[in-house]
Amino acid sequence: MSTAYQFYISSLLIYFGVDILACWGLNLQIGVAGIINFAFVLFQAAGAYTAAVLTLGPAVSPANGGFQSYIGGANLPFPLSLLAAALVGALLSLVVGVIALRRLRADYLALVMLVVSQIAVNVVQNQNNLFNGSAGLSLVPEPLTDVVHLAPLSLAYQWFYAGLTAVICLIVYFFVHQITGSPLGRALRAIRDNEQAAAACGKNVFLLRMIAFVVGGAIAAISGAMLVLFIGTWAPSAWLYPETFVLLGAVVIGGGGNNFGVMVGALLVPVAFLEAPRYLPAIPGHPELIEPLEWIITALLMLLFLWFRPEGIFPERRRRFPRSAPARDLGGPV
Amino acid sequence: MTAGPSPGAPLLRVSNLRRSYGGVHAVDGASFEVRPGTITGLIGPNGAGKSTAIGMIAGAIVPSDGIIEFAERQVTRDPAYQMARRGLTRTFQLSSEFAKLTVLENLLIGAPGQRGESLWGALLGKRYWRRQERALVEQARDLLGRFAMTEKEEEYAGNLSGGQKRLVEIMRALMARPRLLLLDEPMAGVNPTLAGRIAGYLEELRDGGLTMLMVEHELAHVDRLCNPVIVMAQGKVLAEGTMAELRARRDVVDAYLVG
Repeated sequence: MSTAYQFYISSLLIYFGVDILACWGLNLQIGVAGIINFAFVLFQAAGAYTAAVLTLGPAVSPANGGFQSYIGGANLPFPLSLLAAALVGALLSLVVGVIALRRLRADYLALVMLVVSQIAVNVVQNQNNLFNGSAGLSLVPEPLTDVVHLAPLSLAYQWFYAGLTAVICLIVYFFVHQITGSPLGRALRAIRDNEQAAAACGKNVFLLRMIAFVVGGAIAAISGAMLVLFIGTWAPSAWLYPETFVLLGAVVIGGGGNNFGVMVGALLVPVAFLEAPRYLPAIPGHPELIEPLEWIITALLMLLFLWFRPEGIFPERRRRFPRSAPARDLGGPV
Repeated sequence: MTAGPSPGAPLLRVSNLRRSYGGVHAVDGASFEVRPGTITGLIGPNGAGKSTAIGMIAGAIVPSDGIIEFAERQVTRDPAYQMARRGLTRTFQLSSEFAKLTVLENLLIGAPGQRGESLWGALLGKRYWRRQERALVEQARDLLGRFAMTEKEEEYAGNLSGGQKRLVEIMRALMARPRLLLLDEPMAGVNPTLAGRIAGYLEELRDGGLTMLMVEHELAHVDRLCNPVIVMAQGKVLAEGTMAELRARRDVVDAYLVG
């Protein structure tokens, strides 16, 4: 395999891993708990900015040759920057959730989240001192290069980072799986299906939805952190509200409520659909049409799935409970 | 045979309960009691405030005024999930199954205080909650057997018939081993055969010592199951007694006929 090709494949794998992480987080909120979070990308951005400023080091003033201004600069080593990102994602979810989840019904919540997403972009764009405004942050150093003794931007480092992303995916999967496969996951699905009835069954609906929202927000932040530490740059254009819909498309098409299905969705929508047009022949005279076409195809597919197969490619798994062996139950001679 | 009212303190006491929506008084100073061991009927014309009263007792609707006491404890304005944990569970007027959960899962949701329902419990993993889960599955399967629904265990509740959904709701409410079960028109929209079966189950539950407060329109069922019966009209309690006593009362008949 040529070096260029290896660069391409390893990059795709890293993007795939980041998208899987994000989709698991979003699935926990939308697919499992039924919280329509149209501001998901905001929590991804929170993680990205956190990891970036905590890796970039203290901001250098323009007088001393600094070219970007931001708050909270520090030199945290890798796992700490990632954990801090997760923590910030969780805290931001906690604040937004306490306000938005307490009273609002699903459809209103969706609208509020859309607005929150838009407001956040505007704030970051216009407050230049926060995260360097519209220009965004750049030159975020790649983590662990000195530990593994690999040159930044080298092919070997690319593969190392792909492996690192895979490890993070495994760890996050463990958490997600423990939740969705437990009575907690069942209670979340019950709330999704009928909030009032779940409350009548003794479920503290607000608390349970907060758990899904905060854990999902932390996972979103982790995905953002993994992305920014790889690409080294993060700006408001990377997290405009439509980005949430790419991930939502992955969840809907892959199969809401099914962690494996959502993983396939992450491969199909953000990775394949946004990469495939690269290989399409250029439209003569209209090269600018490619990007709108990506969006149109994604949106059409989402509509078709919602119409004809709302459960997605891999529907939510039907839970079966094993029966204990009858011989033992009867207590008869074996 | 109908059971007479048992002695002892009432399990539920509602005093001067009110709920207004704008200028409309859905419940307008209703007071009544539910004695242990009874199926207390709650009847009245449409708009009498029966379902609103049930909603307030269950904690789903916040009363505008009045006092609710359950098991000699003030519980006015306590949220629904707390009422359920105290042993007051309910069914709904409109079927409210968890459509994309299986029948067995629907029942499991009915059990309060599950170890694996907290974040830490879930993260600690199966080993932490498996034993309790097994016991609950066993309890749910017992109920499915009693209600002749064993074959539907793995069916999605959303795919059941209207009557079967009612049964699932009743079983789900029973999973909490409640002290008081609120039934909001448990036979509405159910075919007569199944409605008869549901009535039979409710009698069995009463004979087993369960107290119930039941809203029902079909007076034949009320006649068979409920004693005493409370009549509500225009948000107030109009009368209380056995069905036979109530039939003899002119104002009750008028309320039903005139609405």
